[in-house]
Amino acid sequence: MGNVVKERGLVLEKTFVAVGKQLTQAGVGQKVLELILIGVVFLILVPFLGAHRATDFAIFCIIVLSFDLLYGYMGRLSFGHLLYVGVGAYTVGLALRYLTTNPLLAIVLGIVAACLAGMAVGAITVRIAGAAFALANLAFNRVGWFLVMSPLKDITGGENGLSIRNLSFWYVNFRNPTFRFWFVLASLLLVFLLLRVFTSSSYGVLLRSIKEDEKRVRFLGYNTQFYKWVTFVLAATVAGFGGALTALNYGYVNPNTLDVHANAGIVFACLLGGSGRLYGALLGGIIYMLITNLLPVYFQRWEFFLGVALLLIVFRFRGGIWGGLEALYSGLAARAKSGSSKEGMSR
Amino acid sequence: MIYAIMYGLTVGAVLYLISVGFSLTFGTMRVINFAHTITYTLGAYLLIASIRSLGVPFFWGGAVGVVVAALAGYCIERFVIRRLYGESLDYTFIATYAVFLIGVDIVKWLWGVFPKPVSDPLGKTVDILGFVFPTYRLLVILLAIVVFFGLELFMRKTMVGKIIVAALDNREGVRCLGIGVEKYFSLAFVLGSALAALGGVLYAPITAVHPYMGSHILLLCFAVVLTGGLGNLRGTFLASFALGMLISITGRYWPAGSEIVAFIAMAAVLLARPIEA
Repeated sequence: MGNVVKERGLVLEKTFVAVGKQLTQAGVGQKVLELILIGVVFLILVPFLGAHRATDFAIFCIIVLSFDLLYGYMGRLSFGHLLYVGVGAYTVGLALRYLTTNPLLAIVLGIVAACLAGMAVGAITVRIAGAAFALANLAFNRVGWFLVMSPLKDITGGENGLSIRNLSFWYVNFRNPTFRFWFVLASLLLVFLLLRVFTSSSYGVLLRSIKEDEKRVRFLGYNTQFYKWVTFVLAATVAGFGGALTALNYGYVNPNTLDVHANAGIVFACLLGGSGRLYGALLGGIIYMLITNLLPVYFQRWEFFLGVALLLIVFRFRGGIWGGLEALYSGLAARAKSGSSKEGMSR
Repeated sequence: MIYAIMYGLTVGAVLYLISVGFSLTFGTMRVINFAHTITYTLGAYLLIASIRSLGVPFFWGGAVGVVVAALAGYCIERFVIRRLYGESLDYTFIATYAVFLIGVDIVKWLWGVFPKPVSDPLGKTVDILGFVFPTYRLLVILLAIVVFFGLELFMRKTMVGKIIVAALDNREGVRCLGIGVEKYFSLAFVLGSALAALGGVLYAPITAVHPYMGSHILLLCFAVVLTGGLGNLRGTFLASFALGMLISITGRYWPAGSEIVAFIAMAAVLLARPIEA
């Protein structure tokens, strides 16, 4: 037992040291460049979509990023990720109604609530191997949806949803679309930076090893259940942050935020962009939102489209768009290398 | 109370019919077949369609539903699941979920989104010890028990059944004996689809038929299969009746809890016995 605790402490310590190093020393310039690039992409989107929709896109990207940590990096497919989004959103709504007038404090409360929900559900579902994990999470999502719809109807407003009061406080004014946009963009960059640092640390390597072969990682002496649980909680927490922002962005919460069938959208966005790559998640989030915004104008049967697209991805395009781009790039690089060996050498 | 038990038995019977197929595919291939819901929904809708537009009696409508749904099940197995054998199970899950989405949309397109009621085909009641029960529900329970014993006989006495049972226990071992398990999985899959459609047909007069009726039932079946044990057909039988009872009795004393009590039971079982695939 003592060994296990020591070992956990050791890896966590290593991770924190690595995170600290990453933040202070190596590759700071590159990360700043990446963040600026993402920011610029969203700023370019604003004139086309309007600030409100661009905010929506950014929030969805946060949720997809959190899902990508769980599915793309650790290889655990969850069909109940919206539960935590819903928990975050409802906590913000209820906190602003009954507890506080400060939206920032409400966001913190939403994140904590999603974290706690993730801890409780994760403790049960992480023990399930294989595809049953996905369905068990879906079951818990359904339980959450039902709780909001019926037994807790009096405080959550049931089907009608919950309008949020006290959107402005001090300089923090969530009634102003421009403020919302900048706040959400900053949150997205923060989340991206955090996940970028996490996934490139030794903890991230451990996650990818669990994805490849959990048994071997266990033979190496790691308590994989514990790390799976930590990752689950982390993903839930980030998703709760996304949910809290959703609530503040719309000014109301309704049960659709944790609709069980909407989970397919997140999975689709993640696969479309390319799972296991943070850029893929961002790209997938943006393209998915573009599709959902534009497609209904031309084509009514949304679920049919989603189903066919998912089948196509599963059968043909596993890597998604980002994977395709990477393959294209490496193919071009290889050709350039064989074309002129001198250039290849200098690389 | 007697009525609650009766209702619980009915729900348990229907749950059993749907869970068997799910349990077979989950137990043999470790594949979670989300498209199982669509064969169930399809069975119920075909029943309604054939009763309303063809004017056939309930029995033949049900037969049409079961046969067509079994064919649909075969197509799903042949063209989606078989192409993903030996790959990550997550892809199979996503693919069957995609089939579910397509199926639901087709159902919506053909028959609309609004729930459709089906009338009780028998409409008679039986008087037992002063309690009045609808005959139809008694028949449903009886049918589930017949199916259970039929499956038991099939699994124990025929060669095909024995191979499926062996594959439930150890798939690699069966393959080592030189038996092409895929063929038998396919058979088990079609059998499961037909039984799911039968469940849909039988449950239609008790509840309303709507496009998403399958997804809730599937989660309940999942709870049943996990509670009863993976690929354990007797366990599935017992667990479906136990959970059906639990749902109905909870519904009597705490109506809001009846929807979630099955999942609480599932969580308790999972805490006691994690699944290692």
